[in-house]
Formats: sequence, C-alpha cells, structure tokens
Amino acid sequence: MVTLEKIAHLAEECRFDSLGPARSPAVLDVDAEKLRTLGEGTRHDVCASTFSPRETPLPGICHAFTQDGRCVSLFKTLYTNHCTHQCSYCTNAVNCSRKAKAFSYTPKELARITISLYRSNYIEGLFLSSGAGRDEDNVMEKMVETARLLRQKFAFSGYIHLKVLPGASQTHIQEAVELADRVSINLEAASASHMNEICATKNYESDILQRQRYIRDMLSETSHAAQTILPAGQTTQLVVGAAGESDEEIFKRVLYEYKEIGVRRAYYSAFSPQRGTFFENKKAQPLWREHRLYQMDWLYRIYHFQPGEMRHAFNESGFLANADPKMAIAREFMDKPLDPNTATFPQLLRVPGIGPRSAERIVAYRKRQPIAAKAELAAMGVRIKRAAPFLKINGWRDTTLEMWQA
Amino acid sequence: MKIPENFLYYLSRHEDCSERLLARAGHLRTEDLEVSQHLEVARIKKMVYAVMGEAHRMKAFVRLSYLGTCVLYGFFKPRHRIGEHICDHFARRNAGIIVVLGNGSESWISLCREGRVWRDHGRGLNESLERLKSALHCSEDGCEDGCDVEGLWQVYYDSQYCPERKNLQAFRRQMPRRDQEAAGLRLVQKKKNASLEDFLCD
Repeated sequence: MVTLEKIAHLAEECRFDSLGPARSPAVLDVDAEKLRTLGEGTRHDVCASTFSPRETPLPGICHAFTQDGRCVSLFKTLYTNHCTHQCSYCTNAVNCSRKAKAFSYTPKELARITISLYRSNYIEGLFLSSGAGRDEDNVMEKMVETARLLRQKFAFSGYIHLKVLPGASQTHIQEAVELADRVSINLEAASASHMNEICATKNYESDILQRQRYIRDMLSETSHAAQTILPAGQTTQLVVGAAGESDEEIFKRVLYEYKEIGVRRAYYSAFSPQRGTFFENKKAQPLWREHRLYQMDWLYRIYHFQPGEMRHAFNESGFLANADPKMAIAREFMDKPLDPNTATFPQLLRVPGIGPRSAERIVAYRKRQPIAAKAELAAMGVRIKRAAPFLKINGWRDTTLEMWQA
Repeated sequence: MKIPENFLYYLSRHEDCSERLLARAGHLRTEDLEVSQHLEVARIKKMVYAVMGEAHRMKAFVRLSYLGTCVLYGFFKPRHRIGEHICDHFARRNAGIIVVLGNGSESWISLCREGRVWRDHGRGLNESLERLKSALHCSEDGCEDGCDVEGLWQVYYDSQYCPERKNLQAFRRQMPRRDQEAAGLRLVQKKKNASLEDFLCD
C-alpha cells in the first residue's frame, strides 16, 4: 500500500512514459439515430468470442444481456448501411422498400466511440460489419483504417472482429487479418443455388468461398512465423431457412467449412422476415431450429462425434426434430446399457446427460473408488433423468419401455 | 467453470471464510474439489465458485466514469472481499490511469504503471475522489470530460434487442438483480419501458 497522494503523483508522471497513459479521448458528439440505425444492422450477427491474447483473456465475459437473453460483449455495428446488394432478407438491401436513411461513420469517429465504451467497461471489443456501399473495397479500406487507428493511435488491446465484405480485395483482407483478432465472411446460404435464391448479386464461389480460402492460406503461410496472427481464427454465419434448405444441407456445408476452410466455428441465425424486404411475407423459422443446429455443431466440435453417426439425427427429408439430437443418436447406437465404471471417455460422452466435464469427473472419480449409485453421478454433474436408461451401475439398470416390450 | 489451481486465493476472499477452514483446505488439491463428495469439500467448492462468480460478474458489470483525464471511478459494493482484485484488474486494463472503485463506506484505489501496480484502500468513494481532486489539482468543473458514454451505450444497447427473440427469463437469469445492484447498474432496470406483459410472464 502507498498513499493516495503518491499514486496521484505517479499517475501525473505517466505522461512522460514511452507509451503514455491511456487517456480519455476528446469529447464525442455522435448522432443518436446513426448509432441506433447502424447498431440495429448487426442485431442478427453473432460472435461469442472475446478472446484476445493482447491481454489476459477473460473467458466469455458479457457486459450486459439484452431482454432476449443474448450477451452484449462487443460494440457490434455496421460501418455504413448503404448497400448495393439485393439480399431478399436484408433491410439494407437496395430493393428494400422501407430502407432506413443511409448513415456512415468515419474511421476516427468509430474508433473514438469504441475506445470510450471500452475504457468505461461497457464492451470487450469491436465487431465491425458493413453494407457494401458503392464499392466494397472502399468500405473495406475504411473498416481496416478504423482497426488501425484503434491499435496504433489509441493503443487498443481489446478484441476486434472484422467482417470481410464479399468480393473484397486480397490486399484489404491481408490488412484485416493482420489487425483483427477474428475475421469472418458470412456464407448466408448452404450452396450456390440457395444463394441465388436469396441474393442474385453475390457469387457464392468467387465472392465468398474464394475469400475464405485466401484467409485460410494467409493463416497457413504465417503459422510458422514467430508472431501469431488472427488468434481467434476465421468464422462464418448462415441464415437458417431463408432459401428453404434442409438442416442436413446446412450441416454438410458446415462440415466442409470445418474440414476444408478451417473455420474456427459456424454461427446460425434463424430466418425472421423483416418489413419492406422481398421476403417480408415468408414464414419465420422457429428459433429451436437454430438451437438444434448449434447442438449438432457442438456434438461435432466438442464431443467429436463422427459425421456418419450424426446423420441418424436427421429425418428422411433431412430435417432435425425439435428434440435433443444426442438422444436420437444414442437411441440408434446404444443398444446395451453402459457401466460408467468401465466405459471409455468417448463412450461416456455418447450418453445423453453426460458432457465433457462430467465425463472427466467420472474418469477421475473411479480411479479412487468405484461408482456405486446414481446419486454419485448426479453430484458429478450428470443429468440422471436423461442418462439413467443408458447406464448400468453395479449390474442394475433402470426399467425401460423397450424391456417390457421385449 | 473449472476449479483453478489458485482456488485458495478465491476461498480466502469469501465473506464467511475462517482461518481454520483455509488451513484445512490447504491440504486439498484441485482434483479433490472436482470429484470429492465429502460435505466439507463440497462446501469449500461452493464457496470458491461463489467468489469466482462474483468476481467475474463484477469485471463485466462495473461501469467506470472519467474524473479529469487520469482517473476512472465506479460504484462497487461486493459481498466477498474482492475489492482489491477487481480494482487491480481495471488498473491493468487501463494502464497509466488511476482506478477508484468503492461505495459509501470503503474504496479501493489502484494504478498500473509499467507492469507494476500501486494500491491504496480508503474510506468512502466520495472521500477518495475528493482527495484525488486536490492531489491532482483539478477543479470540480474541469474534471468531467463531458462525454456522455452512458447515453451512447444506452442507445446502442437498445438497438441490439430483437423483439422476436424476447426471453425475459434468460435475461433475469443472466443478470441477477443482486449483481446489478452490487455493480451499481441501472441501465437494464428499464421500468419506464416495461409493459404489463413484462410483469405477467414470470
């Protein structure tokens, strides 16, 4: 402990330090309508990561939650809502009849808003997307300039997620990759034909997939370099149900993205019709559809299920039911109950109600003493109601309907 | 949440932690806390989680305002003894700026410069801020920078709400009123915008 006066004296001396203190930016005067309109433009965009190695990472910190229960950890905004694309689901599309007034930030203005919100601890970083403007390269250049100002002028060490605009040049993508913690290009649709149904002005192969490959190649080229770039990797996002695609088609596309493009993760957003858009009268997709796709995604990435076994979760039309896909897969493959005292880690992971953490605890626990009762599993975090029909403890198992039928 | 290697630090910060309990917990390993079903070990684990949870939410929910150009301050009234821990976190995040967190009865002051942290523990928040004002020779009028960050945030926060995804139950679970009060949050208590439906759907 030192006296408060000494601390004040040390703080005053900071202005002579090489980097200088992270002082308050000048007074801001921001048009509230612009802030609201450009903020609303990213309501449906998702990024769950705030990982930045530039300072001690905080796991999943959320600075607020909206009344829909979703986390607000980033300043998510469009650079401009002016766009020349004709996406049938988007309120910024050129053919939207209820288009909002066009707004645009300047790089300096956007950097100052971000740093002010960051210093006051409202956000963990910036998520910057944009309409394509008249020329996507021009807008992309401004977005990169914003990130550069933050990093170099304001010594910003927080998280930056930059959206790469479809068709952006390789040079601007390279600059974005060097400055950001994460970049992403929205796939929006599961295939080129589905993309044609929702947006006639974007070329799926050259505007989107080719840009994703650029990023993959940039990352692989620099993976051996001393300095790691783009620590949170690249991601993508899909609109679920806008083009009438099935869940299986979406899942196959996502598998391709994980294996061939190397995306860190995929995000899903259930289609909801927006007023004034071409798809205004189209039926909204239920939110549970998005939720079930996230569960499938989780089973693949975290539980390491094989695509071959996962296809049993889809029905004949290629859609998921509104039920836990892990349960559907377990019913298909787990014909004999499992003894948690002898099961391997991957086998435990396939039991509904057992996740990676509880499976780890089971393996650690049984090294000390055998598991003798369901209560012990419950204390380790296992959801007994779901897991019990698939488990056999000390030779005992729960009675199931199938047993009576047999 | 996984039990961290330094769980004794978090345990020692719990409002009900005694020297005796800390000594007994000293013999435990992280794995013991993860899997043991002994009653006292389960209690220790619960206490560690309680402190970690509050620390995490305070890092997220405490809002800071500028006083002059080199002081950031915020209201903060934690249940556990985490004042210094949270204040240091904000000082490291804003190197070169004095961070003052506190309430009516006590306050914590931290400054991070060139990787080293200087600390003080004062009485009330207002008293510490007054002392800083005189030490830094800044007048009452000249201290505030006039930037309405709270106003900016409120506009942005409202813009992120999707009415078609309304889920007040999840919202209340994620932002417990108790933690909002501890961090001095007021922005999400939007009673003026609440509809009758908001009160009926609980």
